[in-house]
Order: sequence, then structure tokens, then C-alpha cells
Amino acid sequence: MGLRDDLERFREVGEQRREDLADFIQYGELGSGRPDQINIPVKIVSLPEFEYDQRDQGGVGQGEDGTPQPGQPVGQPQPQPGDGDEDGEPGEEGGEHEYYEMDPEEFAEELDEELGLDLEPKGKRVIEEKEGPFTDLTRTGPDSTLDFERMFKEGLKRKLAMDFDEEFLKELCKVEGITPRDVFEWARNENIPVSMAWVEEAYSDVPESERGTWSSISEVEANVERESVQQQIQREGIKHVPFRREDERYRYPEIIEEKEKNVVVVNIRDVSGSMREKKRELVERTFTPLDWYLQGKYDNAEFVYIAHDAEAWAVERDDFFGIRSGGGTKISSAYELAAELLEEYPWSDWNRYVFAAGDSENSSNDTEERVIPMMEQIPANLHAYVETQPSGNAINATHAEELERHFGTDADDVAIAYVNDADDVTDAIYEILSTESESDE
Amino acid sequence: MSKRNTNADRFRKQAIATELEEPVTEARNLATKLGLEPYPVNYWIIDYDEMNELIAYGGFQSRYPHWRWGMQYDRQQKQGQYGGGKAFEIVNNDNPAHAFLQESNTIADQKAVITHVEAHSDFFAKNEWFGLFTSGRADEEQVNAAAMLERHARAIDEYMSDPEIDRAEVEKWIDHCLSLEDNIDQHQVFERRLDVDGPAVTADLDEDLAEKLDELELSDEIKGEVFDEEWLERLEGEDGGITFPEVPQKDLLAFVREHGKQYDPDAERAVEMEEWQRDVLDMMRAEAYYFAAQKMTKVMNEGWAAYWESTMMTDEGFAGADEFMNYADHMAKVLASGGLNPYSLGMELWEYVENTTNRQEVLEHLLRVEGISWRNLTDVVDFDDVRDQLEPPAELDSITSETIDDLATADVPDEWLDHEALELAREGEIDVDRYPWKVLTYEGLARRHYSLVKRQNRGFLRRVNQNELERIGRYLFDDARYSSVEEALAEVNYTAGWDRLFDVRESHNDVTFLDEFLTQEFITENNYFTYEHSKATGQFHVASDAAEDVKKKLLLQFTNFGKPTIAVYDGNYNNANELLLGHQYNGVMLDLGKATETLKRIFELWGRPVNLLTIVKEVNEHDIEVAKRRNREPEAEEQGKLIRYDGEEVTTEDVRWDTVEHLSADDVDYDTKPEDWLA
Repeated sequence: MGLRDDLERFREVGEQRREDLADFIQYGELGSGRPDQINIPVKIVSLPEFEYDQRDQGGVGQGEDGTPQPGQPVGQPQPQPGDGDEDGEPGEEGGEHEYYEMDPEEFAEELDEELGLDLEPKGKRVIEEKEGPFTDLTRTGPDSTLDFERMFKEGLKRKLAMDFDEEFLKELCKVEGITPRDVFEWARNENIPVSMAWVEEAYSDVPESERGTWSSISEVEANVERESVQQQIQREGIKHVPFRREDERYRYPEIIEEKEKNVVVVNIRDVSGSMREKKRELVERTFTPLDWYLQGKYDNAEFVYIAHDAEAWAVERDDFFGIRSGGGTKISSAYELAAELLEEYPWSDWNRYVFAAGDSENSSNDTEERVIPMMEQIPANLHAYVETQPSGNAINATHAEELERHFGTDADDVAIAYVNDADDVTDAIYEILSTESESDE
Repeated sequence: MSKRNTNADRFRKQAIATELEEPVTEARNLATKLGLEPYPVNYWIIDYDEMNELIAYGGFQSRYPHWRWGMQYDRQQKQGQYGGGKAFEIVNNDNPAHAFLQESNTIADQKAVITHVEAHSDFFAKNEWFGLFTSGRADEEQVNAAAMLERHARAIDEYMSDPEIDRAEVEKWIDHCLSLEDNIDQHQVFERRLDVDGPAVTADLDEDLAEKLDELELSDEIKGEVFDEEWLERLEGEDGGITFPEVPQKDLLAFVREHGKQYDPDAERAVEMEEWQRDVLDMMRAEAYYFAAQKMTKVMNEGWAAYWESTMMTDEGFAGADEFMNYADHMAKVLASGGLNPYSLGMELWEYVENTTNRQEVLEHLLRVEGISWRNLTDVVDFDDVRDQLEPPAELDSITSETIDDLATADVPDEWLDHEALELAREGEIDVDRYPWKVLTYEGLARRHYSLVKRQNRGFLRRVNQNELERIGRYLFDDARYSSVEEALAEVNYTAGWDRLFDVRESHNDVTFLDEFLTQEFITENNYFTYEHSKATGQFHVASDAAEDVKKKLLLQFTNFGKPTIAVYDGNYNNANELLLGHQYNGVMLDLGKATETLKRIFELWGRPVNLLTIVKEVNEHDIEVAKRRNREPEAEEQGKLIRYDGEEVTTEDVRWDTVEHLSADDVDYDTKPEDWLA
């Protein structure tokens, strides 16, 4: 009991009740979009109660200089004196909802679960070699690393293979008129691992008085119970396990190459005049969760942001989603810049993702003549193009279409997604991220 | 949470406590002189963390385990961290009351808190709405809320630790109850013993049958499958449907406590509540009633405390001259914190009550002067002159050790003076320079702080309108009692204002308080207006600045905790023991999303399907389009709805108007949109 428990419970409850991740991505406040911190609103400020419809209820305000004219808009309703019930501590107001803070790892995990994704990041650059567990074996080594358990098992196996029911064979030797050769041959037929020498010795050990105890082999079979080796071990215990030098094994540690999971994500966005507010927002909604996700999946994530119209230039993240320019559109300019910037992140050491977004408008022949060859040339885990076309009526916007025609719909390193409104965002994200994970299988 | 009871810690708090001993004693003396009758108050010195903890717990030291305290604590801490959230005072309604002073406050802040707390404590003790909770028990018994809450905390903690009971279940159950915490009958005296009318027959029938079944000695399995509750209920049904309660029940918590069950998802039917569930329901209900009085009197109570704090600190100089600036700054911040805060609204209303009462007292005397009537008063009376005459004598205004001898000789009536104290002051036993009020009585203090002559109220007397004059003058008898204004004013009772304040604080709650004292004059002076949401524009617009509109809109926010009224109409609905609730529609519709979520919670407390009848306003898209084009507001149509939750899905269906007509009140209208709004 006590507040500390209550606080812990609040965190737990908050975790359960935070906004559904898919809803959050599609409609939530993504926040300043810092890739290392994700704030998901928790909707638990109040338990449900019977309340008035706020719009239908209206309210009372206080003018600062005089009373405003009827009809004037008032923006968001002011806090009302009856609000925020309970014990009326001042300053209790505010804080519309609590935020549940998630780090990118958790985000990636949750998104995997929510969308059924399964992206296993590949390690690339080797950063160190270290001793792993002692799982490899060698025939020589210091005594302390002798794998005794293995040796015992091998010895036991050998014993099981070599032992046989001595008593039964001895009885067989007492059959009237039988010869050691008969016994040996019978035993061989029964797959009993006995030697002729053993049989002869056993035969000569039979006292004269007992010869002829049994009239035939079948009589012995009918009257003497045979005992398997396992039964014998169970009855007598293991008196002797034949250890052999050849069974000795010494354990030695595995050498593991630790590979760092590096990722570089190139975000390319068309900022030309046709990319209006709504389209811009959809790009942000799609790219931001992708960035979070990859950040959470890889040990080390770097982001490159490229804005382009007819030309391309690198920008900071903070500016990336806000930029608007006037010029035309030439998508290949962005890929040229991407190829140049990616030289810093060699394919041998880095996983690469190249995401581009726009409304599919491009200057004529640019897609076919320049963009597609560039996409094929730039090695990457995944190339993706996100088409945002909220108006849905652009005529010469065929970039996505051309890409799809060229690469097909089931290419494993090219994804094309269409986002016409917020409802499409999670599908697009799934489309993009599942393209690569499919190829892993 | 963190009890750092180190010696250093204790000594530091001890030192602060010693320093505050005198202010605490003298604040009580002053409060009593001013006519307040507070419960005894125990003051505690606490540090910042402890203050945050107390705030999270709603002012008490121990509460039942629940995540929302954690949430409040988290928020409190963040507010403190990111500036602003400075906590000043907590006092809880209890006898004795407990008040908490934060050690880091300046001495001026501490004094402000202490005077504020004394007034709250008076309000707890004397307001009748607070009495509703206590008088359910023996009168002499103390409130002892802290003990009750502590008991609840322990009991619930025990349930949670019980290995037989799932902790999460207890917490969920509490959540369900809390969804209904405002669905009580807060205007009734709280009764622990629940008295909710139900069908007497049902119980008997149930018992008889159960007994007979027992006699048959059937295995539980067969009983469960064949003679299950549904069967029993059907049998009851054949005896003719039983409808209860006879009158709609507003106390939903009591109703489910008496007749509710829990839903057993494994058995897929309602089963009796566990002992602990009923117990938790009882506790939550008791707490709801305990906190109800606070919620119902928030504006009055905060205003009351702010008013007396100001009187003591500013007017009576309880803050030393060196502390005063500090205090004034604090006060300004509290009162100025935006919009309609309960402190400033409440305080302004109390001052308004005082001023109007004093004004009426003066006017009644003036109207009895020969030759003065309500028709000519404003023409013949010189208000400046009247005000000068109402000024207290200079001897009363400034009392020092040098001037106390003048008090007895000048024109200061005997009844204004506390002669015993005066004697002690002369002997030097009382520090009259510091505590001049000690030598005065209630009457003397009322004269000394007479409201109509305060600078901020200078124009108040003159602002009287003709209507009010007529109201006072028309039925006044004996209207030529005085021959002159001087003679009339000499008879004025200067305690009239304060006397009225004490009466009002005893009998009113926020609704009646606002209803009676929120006047046209007050609303216009403070630039209040109403706003409404427009379906045509999709946003809120100023709707009206007419006093009656502002007032009814404001009253809507205070009536029934600002929540819609929901009552139980049938506990045997559909003749299948379903619950039927009715929303008593006053023209403002429910938030249907929240209502549905709440229904789901009630299902957990009822165990069987729950239904809610309500009325909604519907506007069709076409009308909105047309209205948009014509800059008009579309007409909404009122439609009855039945929302039902059966444990699996929510269904909503339209019902005929005559099904909901009884729920619709036609004598209220909270809509303040003007006819030609937005045109």
C-alpha cells in the first residue's frame, strides 16, 4: 500500500490503456518527431461518467475588455468553474491527457505485434570477436574441459551394444546334443553380439551333470526368461561402463563474430508546388513511424533527409517536413544525391533503406530513363516509393505506376505504397516493412 | 511515501511550528471575533514531497490503493517540475480539521493559509450541506473522515492482499463504482443503512424456491442446469411483472448495492456479488457522499475562505507591513488565474451579498425619512454626503497604544468595545499595536470594516437602480419615521452585511447561491457572456450577454455536479430483471460515447442487461448544408433513444416520443442562441 504502488499501478494501467498504436499512427499527434522519443497519449484521465455533450452544453466566458459581440467565435472553451471536480485544488486543471512514453525498441516490438511484422535486422560490420559458450569440441585439451558427460554416454551406448544375456546363452549350452557352433549360430541369428570364443568357454564350463537339461532350443525359449540389457542394467546397476580413449572429447569455446546492426535510412520527399499541406502531412505520417521502427530495430541508425523539386538538397530533420518550394519535379535528382551521400555508408557495413515520397508527378521520361536505373544501381535492403495523392485526380502522375510496371508487385527489395488518406497509413507501412521481411524467409 | 523522519528534519519542522504558534492562536482569536465558528484545526508542517502526496490523495494521508492517486501524483510532480504548480494549502473537512502547511512557504504565505483555513473550517462546521453527511450518525459523534478513509484504505488493501481475491479484480470493481460516484442522491441525508425500495415479494419467492430446491437434494450441477436463475426469474414473471422502484431512484450506487449482481463470464450469467464487492460498493458510496458536499459548495466555500482571508490579512493587518507585499502578490495570482475561477467568482459574490445587504439597510432608513420616497430618492439624497456619514469614527479606524484612551471618550458606543480586553491593553497585557482588533467586539469590527465606505465600493450606493428602490420602498411601512438623513443614518445597523453572510453560508449551496446572488449588475460589470456551438460553422461562438442567459448557463454547470441527472426507472425491466435507467432530459443531450461506456460499467454492477432511455438532438446533413449556405443554424430534431448493453454488444434504437416524454422537462431551456445568430 502507498503512493509508490499507486504510481506503479498507474504506469501499468497506462501501458494497457494507451492509444492503440495503429490509431495513434494514423490520427494521433506524432509530436515533434524526434526519432528517439515517442509520446503516445494515454486516455485514462477520467473514468467514463454520464456527462453532457460538450457542444450541446455550451458555456460561460468572461471578456477581458468589455463583452464580445454575439456571433464572434470563441475558439476553445475556457475552463469552467464546475470542471475538474474532486476537491478543487487550484492548478488541478490542465493536462488534458497523460503521455505514455515509449522508446523506439518498444515501438518496433509493438508494431511487429500489431501488424504481424517480422523484420530481422541483419548484422553488417564486424566490430569484435569474442569467446562464445563452450559448445565446440576437440579431441585434446586440458582435463578441466573434458566432456565427461559425453564420454559416459558413449561408454553406455557401447555397453548396451556389446552386452547380451549371458545367462540365457549358458542355458542354451545345456541343450541335449548341442554344439558351441549351434549356439553361436543361433545367437548370430538373434543379433546377439557374442563371440565364438565366449560360447566355447561357456560350453566347456557346463558341468556334465547338467548337459541335457533341455531337450531342445525351443524348450529353453519356452522356459527361460530372457532379459534385455536395459532390464539387466536396471536390476544390477551399472557396474562397469567401458570408457575408451576414443570417446574423450574436450570442449572449447565458440568464436562469435559480433556484427553491429547498422542502418542508414534515406528519406526523400518531393517538396514541389503540387505537394500541398495534406500530402505533406501524409508523408510525415508514413515516414515518421518508419523511422521510429528502424531506429528501434537496429543498434545504430542514421538518417539522411533529402528534399527535392527539380533539384535536390540535403536538409535537417526539423526542416524536412515543413519545406515547400515552387519548382518543377525531377525525382532522379534526389537519387543522384542519395547515391552520393550513401558513399559514406558502404553497403558492406550498412543496411540501407531508401524511402521516397511524392505525388507521383515527375518530369517526362525521368522515371524510366534515370530513376529506375539509379534504383537498380544503389544497393539497399529496400527501396520504397510512397505515393500520396489525396486529391486523386493528377493526370500525368505516373511515377508509381511506372515503377510498379518495371519492378512488379512482388519484388523483394522494392515496395510501392499508396496513401490517399490517414486510413491508408498503416497499410502502407505494412506494405513497405513486410516487403523486406518476406524476402528473409 | 518517503518518510524521512530524521532528527534534523524533525527539528526543522519543529522550529517552523514554533514560529507559527502565535499566528495560529491569534488567527483563531480573530476568526472568532469576526463571528466565525470553525471546527478545531490541527496544523501540520510538511515538506514539498509530502504536500504532493497529500494532494494526490485528495488531502488525506491514507487512501485505498488505486492507480488514480498515482496518476495525480505523477501530474502533481510534473507540474511542480515544469514551473507553476506551487502548492499552498490543504485543509480537509473533518472535526477536528487537519490543515497542512508547506515548510518552504514564506511566513506571509503561512499566515494567509492559516486565515484561509480557519474560514474553510467554519464553513465545514456550519454549512448545512456538510451536515448531510454527518447527521446520519449520532449528533455528538465527530465527522472523523480521516478515520473513515483510513478504514477503507485498510479494508481494501486487505481484499487486495487476500490470495483468494484477484487484486486486479478489486481495482476494476473500484473503477466501476467510481464511474457512478456522482450518481448519488446528494440532497438526501447520507444513510449507511440503505433504504432503497425494491420488490418485497421477489425476495420471499426466491427464498421459498431455493429452500424447496434444497429439500430435493439435487446435485449442484443439476440445479445449475435446470433450476437456474433464469428459471426462477421466469417463474416470478408468471406471478405478474414486478416493477420497482416506485419512484425513480437517483442513488444508482445504492440501487446496485441492494439489487445488483455480478456477471460471471464463465457461467455466463449473473451471480450474487461477493462479500467484498458489496463492501467495496458501500465504501465507495460513503466516500462519494462525503466528498459531495465539497463539490456542491466549491464556489461558496473557496469564496468564503478568500473573503475572510482578505479581511484578516489585508483589512485587519494580520500580515505584517513587511509581509504584506508578498501576500498581495500571492492573492493577486490566486484570484487572477483566468476565466471563472471559483476563488474570484465566489469572493466577488460574497462581497456582492455584503454590499447589497448593507445598501438595502441604508436605503430602508433613507426611505423612512420624511419627504423621501423611492421615486425621488436619487434626486434628493446626496450620496457623497451619505457616504461621508457612514465612515467609521477616526478612533475606530486607527487603534494604537496611544489612541486607545480616546476610544472610551469619543462617540464610540459601548457595544463596539471589548472592555475586558481594553483593560488588559491599558495594562500592557495585550499588544494593541499589533492586534488592535482585540479591543473590539463583533459589532465594533463590523463598523470598522463597513463595506460601503471601502474604496473599491465607493460607487456602489449610487449605482442602485430604480427597480431596486421601488422594490424596497413600495412595501415599507412607517415611512416618515426620521426627520433628517442624519437621524436616519444614526440608526443604521452596521452588522447587517456580515449577519447576512453568516446566514447564507449556513443554508446555501452553489446552485442556490448563484441563483440568488448572481445579478444582472454583477454579470454586466464582469463582462460575462455565454457561448454555444454552431453546427453550421463547427465551432463555438459568443451567443448572449443577457444576464438571465449567463445565469442559466452557469447554473447548468453547477446543478447536479454539472452532470446530467440519471435515475433508475425499473429494476425488473422486460420482466427479466434488466435495469432501466432514464436520463432526465433538460434540453442538453448526453455525451453518448461516454454514456455507453458508463453503461458497460453498470452492467458489471448489475450482472444483467442494462438499458438507458434518453433524448438526443439530431440534425440531418442536408439541413446543415442548407444552413451553412444561408448563414443560419439548422433546426435539430429531438428523438428518443434506447441504448442497451447486454454484456456483449451495444444496441441503440429509436423509440417513440411517448416512451420518453416523461423524461423531458419542458420548463427549462438552457439554449442561449439568439434568433438571428450568425446572420
